[in-house]
Formats: sequence, C-alpha cells, structure tokens
Amino acid sequence: MTKRNKWTAAAVAIIAMLVFLSACSGSAGSNSGSNSGSKAGNNAETEVSPDPSEQPEITLNVFSNLSNYAGEQPGWFGKLIKDKFNIKLNIISGGQRESTMMASGDLGDIAVAINIVDATKAGLLLDWNKDGLLDKYGRDIKEYAGQSLDAISKQYGGGTAVYAVGHNVGSGSGPSEGANMTFGPWLRWDLYQQLGSPEIKTVEDYLSVMKQMQELSPKSDSGKPVYGFSLWSDWDGTGSMNVGSIAALYGYNVGDGFNIADLILTKADEAKWQGLIDENSAYMRGLKFFFEANKMGLLDPDSLTQKFPDVANKYSDGQVLFAQFPWVTDGYNTEEHVNEGKGFAFVPFAEEQMSTVGYNPYGGNWYWSIGAKTKYPERVMQFMNWMFSPEGVQESRTGPKGLMWDIQDGKPTLTEFGYKAITNSVNMPDEYGGGLFKDGGNQINNSTLNLSTINPETGEPYDHTMWTSYLENNPNPVTKSWRDAMGELTVKDYVVKNNKVAVQPPYFSEQARTEEPSSIKQKKSEVGKVIKEYSWKMMYAKDDNEFTRLNEEMVSKAKGLGYDEVVKWQAENYEKTVGAALKK
Amino acid sequence: MGKNNRITIFDVVNYTLFALFTLACFFPFYYLFINTISSNDLSSRGLVMFYPQEIHFSNYIQVFKIPGLSQATLVSFGRTVIGTVLTVAASGFLGYLFSKPTMWGRKFWYRFLITTMYFNAGLIPWFLVMLKLGLINNFLAYVVPGIVSPFFIILVKTFVESTPISLQESAQLEGAGNLTIFWKIVMPLITPILATIAIFTAIGQWNSFQDTLFLVTDSNLFTLQFILYRYFNGATSLATLMQSGASENLANIQTATSIRTTVSMVVVIPILLVYPFFQRYFVKGIMIGAVKG
Amino acid sequence: MSNQPGGGSKMEAKLNDQAYTSVAMKRYPFKEKHKLFFMAFPFLVLVFIFSYLPLYGWIYAFYDYRPGIPLSQTEFVGLQWFTSLVSNPYQMEEVLRVLRNTFAISALGILTSVLPVIFAIFLMEIKNNSFKRIVQTLTTLPNFISWVLVYSFAFMLFSVDNGLLNNLLMSMGLIEQPLNILGSDNHTWLSMTLWGVWKGLGWGAILYIAAITGIDPELYEAARVDGASRFRLMWHVTVPGIMPTFFVLLILGIAGFINNGFEQYFVFSNAMNMSHIEVLDLYVYNVGVVNNNFGFATAISILKSIVSLVLLFAANSLSKLVRGEGVI
Repeated sequence: MTKRNKWTAAAVAIIAMLVFLSACSGSAGSNSGSNSGSKAGNNAETEVSPDPSEQPEITLNVFSNLSNYAGEQPGWFGKLIKDKFNIKLNIISGGQRESTMMASGDLGDIAVAINIVDATKAGLLLDWNKDGLLDKYGRDIKEYAGQSLDAISKQYGGGTAVYAVGHNVGSGSGPSEGANMTFGPWLRWDLYQQLGSPEIKTVEDYLSVMKQMQELSPKSDSGKPVYGFSLWSDWDGTGSMNVGSIAALYGYNVGDGFNIADLILTKADEAKWQGLIDENSAYMRGLKFFFEANKMGLLDPDSLTQKFPDVANKYSDGQVLFAQFPWVTDGYNTEEHVNEGKGFAFVPFAEEQMSTVGYNPYGGNWYWSIGAKTKYPERVMQFMNWMFSPEGVQESRTGPKGLMWDIQDGKPTLTEFGYKAITNSVNMPDEYGGGLFKDGGNQINNSTLNLSTINPETGEPYDHTMWTSYLENNPNPVTKSWRDAMGELTVKDYVVKNNKVAVQPPYFSEQARTEEPSSIKQKKSEVGKVIKEYSWKMMYAKDDNEFTRLNEEMVSKAKGLGYDEVVKWQAENYEKTVGAALKK
Repeated sequence: MGKNNRITIFDVVNYTLFALFTLACFFPFYYLFINTISSNDLSSRGLVMFYPQEIHFSNYIQVFKIPGLSQATLVSFGRTVIGTVLTVAASGFLGYLFSKPTMWGRKFWYRFLITTMYFNAGLIPWFLVMLKLGLINNFLAYVVPGIVSPFFIILVKTFVESTPISLQESAQLEGAGNLTIFWKIVMPLITPILATIAIFTAIGQWNSFQDTLFLVTDSNLFTLQFILYRYFNGATSLATLMQSGASENLANIQTATSIRTTVSMVVVIPILLVYPFFQRYFVKGIMIGAVKG
Repeated sequence: MSNQPGGGSKMEAKLNDQAYTSVAMKRYPFKEKHKLFFMAFPFLVLVFIFSYLPLYGWIYAFYDYRPGIPLSQTEFVGLQWFTSLVSNPYQMEEVLRVLRNTFAISALGILTSVLPVIFAIFLMEIKNNSFKRIVQTLTTLPNFISWVLVYSFAFMLFSVDNGLLNNLLMSMGLIEQPLNILGSDNHTWLSMTLWGVWKGLGWGAILYIAAITGIDPELYEAARVDGASRFRLMWHVTVPGIMPTFFVLLILGIAGFINNGFEQYFVFSNAMNMSHIEVLDLYVYNVGVVNNNFGFATAISILKSIVSLVLLFAANSLSKLVRGEGVI
C-alpha cells in the first residue's frame, strides 16, 4: 500500500509539472496571440503612431546568421530600443537553422545575412515598396543607403520590388576598414626596435627578422618556448585560412567578394586571378613561407592540432612574435604589457599591397531583410530605418549619447564613464540596462552603415576608436613609439599615405550571382578538402624534396577530382562580373 | 565459505586494474575541475596540473550570471523528469507486450519498430513534420518524440524473456489481465533494466540541446544545456565574421577555455549528485546475489 | 482483414460461454492477440509519425534541393548524387579510403565490445562495496564530457609545446625531441578506438551490470552447493546470464557498422591523420553538410539505411543459425 501511495504521489507530481510547464508554453503562445490581436488594431488604423515609443509593446523575431546569441536582446541596447520603439528583439541565431527556417517558409520578422537568392525565389521576403512602406517609414535608409536599395531592387526585385538592403554601406575613397585594418603583419614592436628596425623588402624577409627576434626573446612570460608563427586550422574553408592571409599582403584574396569563387585568388584592385594552387600563385607563396618558417624552427609545432583559443592563449603569454591579423594581438597588448613598452605594432614590408575593401555604396551581401509573414511591417521598418540613421548607427556602436559619449568642444568624445565602459571594466548603470558594455551590445551582429564613414551629426567617423579625441587620449608607450617612428596616427593613415594598399572597388551588377550547379558544388568540396589537407602537410614537410613531392601529389589529386573544371567555372564568373568591371 | 574471504592474486590484480582505470577516468575530470577554480591566467598557460592554485570561483559566478538560467534549469529539470518517466513506462510496457508471442503480427510490428533505428530522414523533413504537428515552441517536443525508443524496448524484451515465464502464467490462470500482470508481476522483476533505462534517458534528456536549437525560439522554453551550449560555442561564428573583416567584433566574443570547462562542470555536477540514487538498484541486486551465496 | 479474426473470436467467445475453464486456455490466444496489439497501437502510431513520416524527405536525394524552394522549381538530378561517388578513379579512391577507415574502426569497435562485459563481470568480483560504488561512478565520468572537451584535454596531455607527456618524457631524458602524437598518422584507428573505450567503457558496462543483477540468485546458490569455484560461477552462471544482452547489442552493433558517428572523428581530425580518420559520417559532413548539399547528404543517408538493414537481417539470420534464435 505504501508503495502504491508513493507511485500515486509521483504521478500527481508529474501531472502537476506537466500542467505547469504546458502553461508556460501556453502563455508564450497566447502572448503571440494577443500580439496578433493588437496588430489587427494597428492595421485598421493603417498609420502607426508618430511617436514609436507610445505604441504597444511587441516582440520581433530576428533571425541572424551572424548571431551567436539566442533569446531576448539584453543589456543597454535592449533597453535603448525598448525605450525608443517599445520593441523587444528575440534573437534567433543562425547556422544550420537557416535551412529549417527557409524550409518552413517563415523567416521571422527580420532576417539577416540569409541566402537572399533562394529566399526571394521562395517568396519569403517582404517587398518594401508594397503599400509605400519604404517611402513612409524608411526615409533614412533611402537617404543613406539609397544606392544599395536600387542595386538590390535591380538584382532581385526586377527593378520594382525591394527585398533587402546591404550591410556596411558607405561611400568615399580609400579603404573602408577601421583604424587597424584587417591584415598585418604586426610584430612585437619592442623586439623589432631592439634589432634596430631592420628593413623588410619582401614577405620572406620577415623570416630572418623573426629568427633574430626569437633569439632575443627565447622564452615567454611563463617560460615556454617562443615561436615566430602560431597557426590554427579550425577556421579553414577551402585551403588554409592562415596561408590566405599571406596572399592578402600582396593584394590577393580568396574569392572576389561577389561570386562563389573560393578556389581562385583575385587581385583586389586589378582584373587578375590565379587558381589557388597554380604554380607561383600567391597562396603557394604563403605555403612556402610557412614551410621555410618551419624549417627555421619558427613555426609552432602545434599549429596543426590546436584550436583558435589555444592560439589566443599563446599570444597572451608572449609565445608568438608575428601576427597575421591585428586582432589576435589583443591578448598580449594588455595595459600591463604596453606600459612596460612591450606590445605588437604594425610593421609593413616594402612590397606590401595589403588587401582592403573600398567603401561600397551598394552595400555588402549580409543583407537586412524583412520576413514576408511579419505582422508588423510598419514597426519593423521604423526600427530598421533607425538602424540606418546616423543616430542609430552611432548609438548602436558607441552606446547611449550622454552616458557613453558626448560632443565636447565641437568634437565627439567618450565620457570618463565611456572610457571605462568600453574596456568593460565597469557595469552599465541599471537604468541603462545594466551589465557589461560588450554583453549588452547589439546581438544581431551585423553592421548597417560603414563605421569609418563620417557621421554628419558629429563630423567624425561613427567608429569611436577613430575619433581624434580617442586617438589623442593618452597613447600608451608602444603606440607612442610606433607613431614617432612611422609619422602617422593610425595604421590606416600610414598605409593609405604610403600607398601600401590594394583597394577593392565596390562592384555592382544587375544580375544576381550565378549559383553553383550541383556537379560543381560537390567537386569543389572534394578538391577543397585535398588542398586543405596537403597545405598543412606541405608546411610541415621535412625537406625541400618532400615539399615538392607533396606539392605534386596535391596537384594531381586535386586535378583528378575536378580542380580545373571548378576553377574554370569560377574564373568565368569572375571575368564576366567583377573582373570585367575592374578592366574598365 | 572461508574461500570467499581469502585474498587471492586475482583479487589484487582485479582491484589494481580497476583502481588504475578509475584514475584514468577521473583524472581528466579532476584536472578540468581544478583548472576552473584556479587563476585563469595560470590555467591558460597550462601551469595548473595536479592541484588548484590561487583558488577563485569567478568562472562559476560568471556562468551563473548568464541570464535566464533559472527558468532554463526548471525546463531542463521538467523535461528530464517527465521525459524519463514517459520513456521508462513506455519501454517497459512495450518490451513486455513484444515479449508475448501471442501478439497479433508481433514479428512484423517489432521489425517495424526496430528498423527505425537505422533510418535517418535528415534535418529538414524532420523539422517540417515537427512543424506540422505544432511542436515548435512547445514543451511536448522535448518529451513526446522520445517516448518510444526501439533500443530500450529491445533491452526490456530481452530482459523479460530471461525472467521465469511461470509467474506470468500462474497469474493468468488466476484471471489477471495483461495490465495487472505487467504491473504486479513483470515490473518488479525488471526493475534493474528499468533503472538502467531511466539513467540512460535521464542523461539523454538532461544533455540534449539539438531539439532546442531547431525547435524552440521562445526563451521561456530554453533548456540549461542549450543556454550553456550557446555560451560554450562562442567561438564558432568567429570564422564567419573573419571573412568580412568585422574585426572589432572578434575580440569580444572569444570564449576562454576556462569558461567552456566551467560550463561542462556545471552540467555534469548535477548528474553526479543524482547518479548514486540510481546506483542503489544495481548494487542492491548484486548484494542479494552475493549474500545468498 | 481484421474482420476475419474478429468474427472468429466472437464465435469462439460464444462457444466458450457454454464451456468450462479448461477451454478458456484455448480461446485466449484469439482475443488476447488483438488486445495485445491494440495496447501497443498508440505507440506504433508515434513511431510512424516520428520515424516513418519524415522519410518522404528521401526524395531530396534526387534533386539539387534548396530549402524553401518547391521541388517543382528545383533541378532534378536523378541518380547523380549516387553515381558521383564512383564517377572517376580519383573519386572512387576517396570513397574506398573512407570505407576502409569506417570498416577498420567499426571492426575494432566490435572487438572491443566485449570489454564492458568483462568490466561488469569483474566488477562483480569486487567485494568491497564502497570501492565498487566509487569505481562505478567515476568510470562513467568520461561519458559526460563532450568530445570537444575531451580533445582539449588530449591536447593538454599530448601537445608538442608543453604537453604533459612530452614534458615528462623529456625531463626523464627518454626522448630528445618532443613527440607530436596528435599530429601524426601512426595507429590512428587504434588510438580512436582507445579513446572510444576510455569514454564509453564504464557507461556501457551499466547495461551488463543490470543484466547481472537480474540473474536469479538461486542459480548462484545451486551452483555453490554443487561446489563450484568462483571462476566456475562466473563462467557458468554470470556469463550465460548476460549473453542475451550481449548478443542483442552485438547484432545492433553489426547493423550499425557504417555509423561511426561524427563528433569524435571531427574533433581529432587534422591534415596529418585525415587519410585514416575520415569515416563515412565525417566524410558526409565535410562534403555535404558544410556545403549545404542536402541532396548529397540524403543520398548517402539512404545508402547507409539500406546497408544497415541488410546487415541487421543478415546478422539476425546468422544468429538464428548459430544460436537457434534471432533477436528481432
């Protein structure tokens, strides 16, 4: 009997729990139900209230392929748009989920960086011209990203419908990147100075410099061996990503930024292309570079097996002296290190033609779009419009005006609190959403207007790390020493004035890009796999003979699997589009 | 018998091997644990090997600060308890039914069931079926699809078949129906396998995040594992960002190894606390065998 | 179809109204069998819905499927995804290599599937209960750590630069140059199997421990009365007691011969060991999933299902032949 009682009790408990939990999900369901009710009300009025914050609270589902966050937008950004628009964002992160959402026919209210070709084909996106939505609520988008709207309308909307707007929109000349650019190389500035800043002509010249630097600093902070280079393989696509970064120093990129072209390298500013593993391609030069580095004992033997976080740790500890990308140096360039005069800084070579992307008025292809099934087209458009307005771009990047930054002496300046908050050393005040600045940022994780463009309201770029006030604010000894030596405030200033960049001009075509036919698609992944595998084997080849042998093996295998055919297909697309435009 | 109390060479070897293997299993876990409570700086340099240094709990505090954790714990707990009860009940019952040779079309239906273990329709068709069934943003999606699990049914059936049939037969003669026989006669006999299935299901439910990833967008229904998984994988979208030079975002979303490890610990520790409870069912059974002999 | 037996049972029932209990035994099978079926029916409906219904998606294997776009507007590729596997000698070589890896690792996996049995039997021989509990709890720990984390532990242990093992060997003067264990292709199959054993042994043994618990204690008693030694007890009582479970798992394992899973091989794979570590599931990931090639992934998935079912029934027939009974 007692046993039976026990079971009964357990059953009751479970039923209670079921009821409770289904009530939970039920309430979520009824939420959306009541929302649709209020939406009907809105529709009847056809016009939304002029003050967005007066409107009823809604939650928008934002699907973003770039987001790594799921759930309600937290922190200061969440608070900001709640106050401004009475909108909450429910972020849905991307990845494989995209295919299921596409298949279901519902992309939510806002869809970011999705496959727009298939989405328009499948009719999953809202036409912004319908009911004059764009004209009524999208004034800033039209003003600041009008060319992008036109371009996308021509590409995907037959010239009449508008389904999306591009990201990173901007116009102007020169590189569109931030102050530090995307590629390096950055070296340990203190050691380079100790060597008397030897001249570096070609990329290969770094090797002997690295060797000397290694001799100067054979042990890291914690007493581990120091290497010139430490690579990682977990981000590789077709081929090794780190090898590609060396090609980029000569102005060559994998792909062309428009087509599916990841087995060819294209020159950023000229109509030139190379097959990835063609003899003497920039990629092969990069491979050879790391192979030589390994022969000299400069390449971290764990490069093949470690993942990116391990590499980041090694940089922090001072185990690595060369940085292909500026951002990997953050771990080492801590306050403690730079105040001792130790830190990474940009050291170019004479031949350098760093690959960069020019301002693109048509926008990049991480499109912002609205799901066809949204219940609140007006409210979504209002919100998106703000995201493309100077106020929205500035506050999304730097945080609320008044708290984080303000205009001082006519120039935008971070407040004292702002300086602390951007290094995440203090919490945001509770009335602004609380939490650390980085945790409360916009979790959609896509840009709207290019941050290097000038904010018409402040006269300086949107990116606060490019503000004069920021640059002049108490530079650390390493930065100071670098500026004295190079005669410029930032890397960007230096490379632009010294002509060390290959700027890729914006490209526009009325034709959407060609999608891969099924046979090409599969061949490409097979070939890419071979290239990736052999690239690493070649970097670690024991001697020149093995290097050559592996090279031959790679070429014959790749060709056997259809390398030539895929390269031909990709090159044809390139020449018809981006290449043709560059010739003009 | 005295023989049983003598310590033989076999015992020495046996104990030693088990001790060594246990150590091999435990040490990595211990190692990861001490790294989560040691100074992150020392830990990332690989200096924490055998004992914690500069003990702190900020990693755990940081993990516990992830928003939505308490609601997610509740959901996880709910799906684990409900899902386990349903699966164990269904597996026990179906295993019993399929052990009866008299069932109509038994062989066919059994195969109908078992072969599904080797089908995989793929992500999209599965998703669309769940969508049509209204199992998007629905708690039932966590517990209903797993109710019938072929593997567990096989285990129960095998187990039931190894128990003496005479008990069932005599109950039948006394006029007991199938349900009564199952409840009164079979259930007590198959407790060990049901306990096993309970453990397997509970761990599976507790650790599952894939279903949340694809089927749930409502944060009220997020599970603990899902939230932690998302946190854990902070670095995965780096590669995507990389390709366009959105470099300033990169530094912000680097996830330290220490946090990853902490997250894993947070998931495993509740399991460790509950595990001994299930263990009773085995150890007790084994003892009966030993004591009687 | 159901009319016939249904009517029969009614007639039978009428007959039995006049009959006595001895006849009741006879009529049982008729009514009983439908009752049993109808009790299972709701569950079979669930199986149909969740396992059979989605199979309509197998049609994607014949298209260049793109999510969201109706099949009518999608390129029909016929058997292209299937034939592409053998389209040219290089491609065939790739597929053969992948299959070789799959078979080798699976075969090792099946060989090591006796280890949990041995583990369970010998654990029973531990008389100290708290030791037994500790062993049983702690050996399941690796099962709870994801492969990603297992790899980061392996990296800590075996990396060239500051790995625990290399540090140890170098300081003892046993080697001069550090070993690159993770970045080598020596014994890849074996090391993958060992990682699998390490992670799954304690967990896998639970099933057998449960089976041992279910053995009728009287069997032990009777054998002891007959003067059987400890090892005889193991061999003549414990082993036969867990054999049914072992055989069921063995047959399921054989049917799963080409499903190695993916995660373990994914985290451990690198350029050096790729030629031996790339099993079928990893290959599908590398070629199909990464590239969003749903048609290809589905095609492979169909082939896998077919092979698995063939293996399942073959193993089952073999079991019937050898042991006189099958498991399904």
